[in-house]
Amino acid sequence: MKSLIEIIDEIALSHPDWPAVNTLGDLKTYGELKAASDGIAAALQAQRLPAKAPLMVYCDQSFTAVATFLGCVKAGHAYIPVGSHSPNDRLTMIEEIAHPALVLATIPLPLTLQTKTVEAAQLREMMTTAPVENAALAADDNFYIIFTSGTTGQPKGVQISHANLISFVSWMASFKLPRRPRMLAQAPFSFDLSVMSLYPTLTSGGCLQILPKEKTDNLKALFETLPHVPVDVWVSTPSFVDICLLSPLFDATAYPALKQFYFCGEELTHATAEKLRQRFPQAKLYNTYGPTEATVAVTAIQITDAVLADYPRLPIGYAKPDTTMTLVPGTVREEDDQQVGELEIIGPSISKGYLNRPEKTAAAFTEEHGMRGYRTGDLGTIAEDGLIFYRGRTDFQIKLNGYRIELEEVDHYLNQAPMIHQAVAVPKYNAEHKVQQMLAYVVPAAGEEGGLALTKKIRAHLQQVMMPYMIPQRFIYKDSLPLTQNGKVAVKALISEVNA
Amino acid sequence: MDKKATVLSILNDLTGEDFTNNLDEDLFASGLIDSMDTVQLLLQLQSQLGMDVPVSEFDRNQWNTPAKIIKKAEDAD
Repeated sequence: MKSLIEIIDEIALSHPDWPAVNTLGDLKTYGELKAASDGIAAALQAQRLPAKAPLMVYCDQSFTAVATFLGCVKAGHAYIPVGSHSPNDRLTMIEEIAHPALVLATIPLPLTLQTKTVEAAQLREMMTTAPVENAALAADDNFYIIFTSGTTGQPKGVQISHANLISFVSWMASFKLPRRPRMLAQAPFSFDLSVMSLYPTLTSGGCLQILPKEKTDNLKALFETLPHVPVDVWVSTPSFVDICLLSPLFDATAYPALKQFYFCGEELTHATAEKLRQRFPQAKLYNTYGPTEATVAVTAIQITDAVLADYPRLPIGYAKPDTTMTLVPGTVREEDDQQVGELEIIGPSISKGYLNRPEKTAAAFTEEHGMRGYRTGDLGTIAEDGLIFYRGRTDFQIKLNGYRIELEEVDHYLNQAPMIHQAVAVPKYNAEHKVQQMLAYVVPAAGEEGGLALTKKIRAHLQQVMMPYMIPQRFIYKDSLPLTQNGKVAVKALISEVNA
Repeated sequence: MDKKATVLSILNDLTGEDFTNNLDEDLFASGLIDSMDTVQLLLQLQSQLGMDVPVSEFDRNQWNTPAKIIKKAEDAD
């Protein structure tokens, strides 16, 4: 079987002039992508780094980032994409856990890491190095490692191998993507939703359409830019398309090329899907589901008018053919005549586990008859025909705007803030079971008084240590928090209070 | 409720803060509102005040303080 790298390189050799990456009109071809990634790979191999050691890539959404990823893999190293909006503490924590052999920065790093760092200018120089033969790759070698949040403030690095990624990419190819698809790349590369457009596009001769964060942060800029991003396959979180749907001009008339929509990262609501069916009646709409540990997505279903009519809460789909989904024994209970339990995913796209975290790996991953499984912590039901429905979480993990957040991790940071005596994060749900906001109930430290000034002080502190998406939107000040009989903060009581 | 009070109440719902005495607070710079919250803000302005703000014209630099949002609401008719 060919590796993904071989497939991409073959396209570059047969069609070097095909566009591969479009960043707001700046087109780079497959020929340029091959030359740049070959150059980086050659320069990396010349450095004689420890074999198979991962490399950290501090990156924006750019051609350079894509070329660097491929360069790392060609040189025999997995890459760890870390987003440019990461706080310094997260960078040092990932460095400590992963022990990267090198840090490659496509944009200036906000701090000096202990690991030897290749700055952006140097990286661009590496792109022009004369090519050498690629390092040998084994199917079980890591391709990329993406860090998700962890419960004690320790992020977890999900190791995705070549074989894992091939399983995912081959499945995506079965969806009959348009020939040479132009797929939207809106999610940052540190979020595995980005993989849904990156490799399916590059292995089918398509052109990745980058929509950078600077353009999506300000609605005016977003709606000025969007019509100039020639996308035919849309990939995003439902939250992001909800923003786009706010504009009445986001429809098939204005975007006639849009043929398919893929959603992942959080629950697709009935309302969003219905609106999309109205605005883009000819386009195919897919809901997909999967944790990072199972490589992007493992279930899918086309949301047709019939599906909308049948299900007030949309299904997440059927498992991909090489994958089995079951309910973990012992977690199953009866609810409205249905068996609800924790979803376990078993198949070739399951990660080998968390990098340098054997205990966390053993707690979530299983292995039986040589096939790996992952216990998702997601509750679900599986209908007789295999159709799967998501029913929430077994623990205190939430999804907010597509980002996976462990409430206990948020609590950990809140309680470490010097201006806080005690605090707890509480999700607020909307009518469609989606988390709309994260609130923090805070008992201020002695000498501090609740109010805007304190909120700003807490925010300024949290911005130093947490990803922006993990910071609660609202801070509510209390003299004390309700406790359970065991003396712990009664989170469930607060969740009920907030959502009453 | 007058428009000023309504805007302040919408902002209070979104951020948990009372801006009555902080009308010139920069909502984006301080991280009190992010791009996802702006969607909620626009929806609330529409449902509570009937303000139809085309999202394509929502330049956040023009809407970054409670005072500016109140002014937009008062000028809306």
